[in-house]
Amino acid sequence: MRLVFAYIDPGAGSLIIQAIIAAMVSIPFFFRNAIRSAFERFRRKPADGSGAANATITPEDSGAAPSDPE
Amino acid sequence: MSDRPAAEREPGSYRDPSGFVFRREGVLYRQVNTVFADDWAAFESSGLHQALVGEGVLVADKPAAIDMAPEQGAVAVIQPDEIGFISFPYEWSFSQLKDAALLTLRAQAMASERGMTLRDASGYNVQFREGRPVLIDTLSFERAREGEPWKPYRQFCEHFLAPLALMAHRDGRLGLLLRTWIDGVPLDLASELLPRRTRFSAGIAAHIHLHARAQQRHAADAGKPDSGAAPRSVTMSEGRRLALLDHLRRTVEGLRLPAHGTEWADYADQTSYSAAGTASKEAIVRRMLEAVAAEGGRRAWDVGANTGRYSAIAAAAGFEVLAADIDWAAVERHYLALRAAGEKRIMPLLADIAEPSPAIGWANVERASLLERANADVVIALALVHHLAIGRNVPLAMVAELLARLAPNLVVEWVPKEDPMVQRLLASREDIFADYSAEGFRAAFARSFEIVDEAPIEDSRRILFRMRALS
Repeated sequence: MRLVFAYIDPGAGSLIIQAIIAAMVSIPFFFRNAIRSAFERFRRKPADGSGAANATITPEDSGAAPSDPE
Repeated sequence: MSDRPAAEREPGSYRDPSGFVFRREGVLYRQVNTVFADDWAAFESSGLHQALVGEGVLVADKPAAIDMAPEQGAVAVIQPDEIGFISFPYEWSFSQLKDAALLTLRAQAMASERGMTLRDASGYNVQFREGRPVLIDTLSFERAREGEPWKPYRQFCEHFLAPLALMAHRDGRLGLLLRTWIDGVPLDLASELLPRRTRFSAGIAAHIHLHARAQQRHAADAGKPDSGAAPRSVTMSEGRRLALLDHLRRTVEGLRLPAHGTEWADYADQTSYSAAGTASKEAIVRRMLEAVAAEGGRRAWDVGANTGRYSAIAAAAGFEVLAADIDWAAVERHYLALRAAGEKRIMPLLADIAEPSPAIGWANVERASLLERANADVVIALALVHHLAIGRNVPLAMVAELLARLAPNLVVEWVPKEDPMVQRLLASREDIFADYSAEGFRAAFARSFEIVDEAPIEDSRRILFRMRALS
C-alpha cells in the first residue's frame, strides 16, 4: 500500500517531454556504454593465447572499471 | 508525551505529508509519518541510508525516542545533525549552486543502484557543511517503481538547471531570481531570458527551451479528461531514466561562467594601502579576533568579505566563518579557492548587508531572513562602513545599530574621508556627509557599542576598533 505518492507536482508537460528527451538521449547513452564495456572487456582479456607474457592483470587493470570515466 | 518540552514545528517544513522537522528545547528532530512507513523501511533495508551518510551525501542522524513525536501517526523520530548556518540557494554563487545540483544527481544515482529514487530535487534540501554540499532531507527517498518517469525532473530544472544556465549564459546575478520564485525559476521565463544561441546547446535546448514549450502546451489540456497527459500514463524504462539523468548531469557539468566573471585581475587585492599597511591591518585584526576567541567566541560573520583575506585570519583564530559579500564574482572566486584548498571552516555567502535576504515563502516565515539567522559571536566589518555610510547614505548610527543586532562583538575599520577609497565614492556626487568624521563615527557607534580596543593601521589614516555591544 502506497499512501504517499508525489507530493510535488511533476507537471504533465514535464512528464511528457522528459519521456521524449529520455528516448532521444538513451541512444547515445547506450552506444557510449556499449563502447565502454567492450573496451573494458578488451582491456581485461587481452587477445587470448598471444602475448602470454603480458596476460596477467596488473593492479591498475583490475581497478580500471570505473562506473563512469568522465 | 506530556512530560516532554514543547515542540515547535519548523516553519519551512509543511509541504511533504511523509514527515516534518521540529525542535524541542532547541534540538532538531524529524518525525516520520506512518503513511511513509514502507518507504522508510526500504530506505533502511536497501542500505541506501547508510551509504548516503557514509559518503557524506546525506546529513547523519540518530534515532530518537518515538514519544518525542509531537503529532499523531509517527512511525519514527530521528535527530539529524545540525548545520552551523542555514543558507538558501539565492545566497549561493554559481559554483555553490552547481555543486548542490551535482550532489542531488549523485544522491539519485546512489538511490537508483539500490532500487530507490529521489522524491524531490529542491535546492532547499541542500545545505553546506564543512565547505561541501550535503542533503538534509532524510525523507527524500522512496522505492522506485517499474516504468515510472523521474518525478523531480521539473523541480530539478526549475531549482537548479534554469538558474545555472541563466548565470552561465546571461548574467551571474540571475541566481537572485530564486529569491522571487521560491519554487524555482519558471522555465518559460528562463527560456525567454536565455540568449538565442542556447537553443543550439543540446542540454539547454532540451531541458529548458523544449521543456518550457511542453509545459505551456500541456497546461491547457490539464483539465481535459482524455488528454493523455495524466502523469500515470507516461511510462519510462529504467534504462531511459538513467540516460535522462546522465544527460542532466552532463548538461550541468557543461555549464561554466564566462571567464571574465571570475578572473578579474587584481580584483580582490584592490586596496589603497601599502604592503606595510596590509601587514599591520592583518596583525591587528588577528589580535582582536584572538581576543574575542579567548572570551569563547566561535562563530564570526565577515561582512563585506570579498574573496576572504580576513575570513582566513578569523578561521585561523578558531572561528567558523560566514563570509558574506554583495559581489557574486567575489563569492564565486572565494568559494572556488576554498574548495580547491579543502577549507572547511569558511562558508561564502552572497548577501548585501544594506539589503539583507528577506524572509520569503508562506506567511513570510518559510525561509528566514538573513538577520533572523544571525548567530555570530563577532561581526567583522572591514572596509565596509564607508560603503554603507557614503555609498548607500546610511547614517552611521544606523550602521552601528544593525551591526549590534548581528553579534555581541565587532571588529570594525574606520576609513576616513581623505582615504582614496572614500574619495572614489565621492567622485561623482556631492559630499553631503558632514558627520562622516572620526568623531562622528565614535559618537554614532557609542550609542550601540563600547570600545574595548583600538589601533591605527600603519601607513594609513584608517583605524581598527574592537567593540562590545551594549546590552
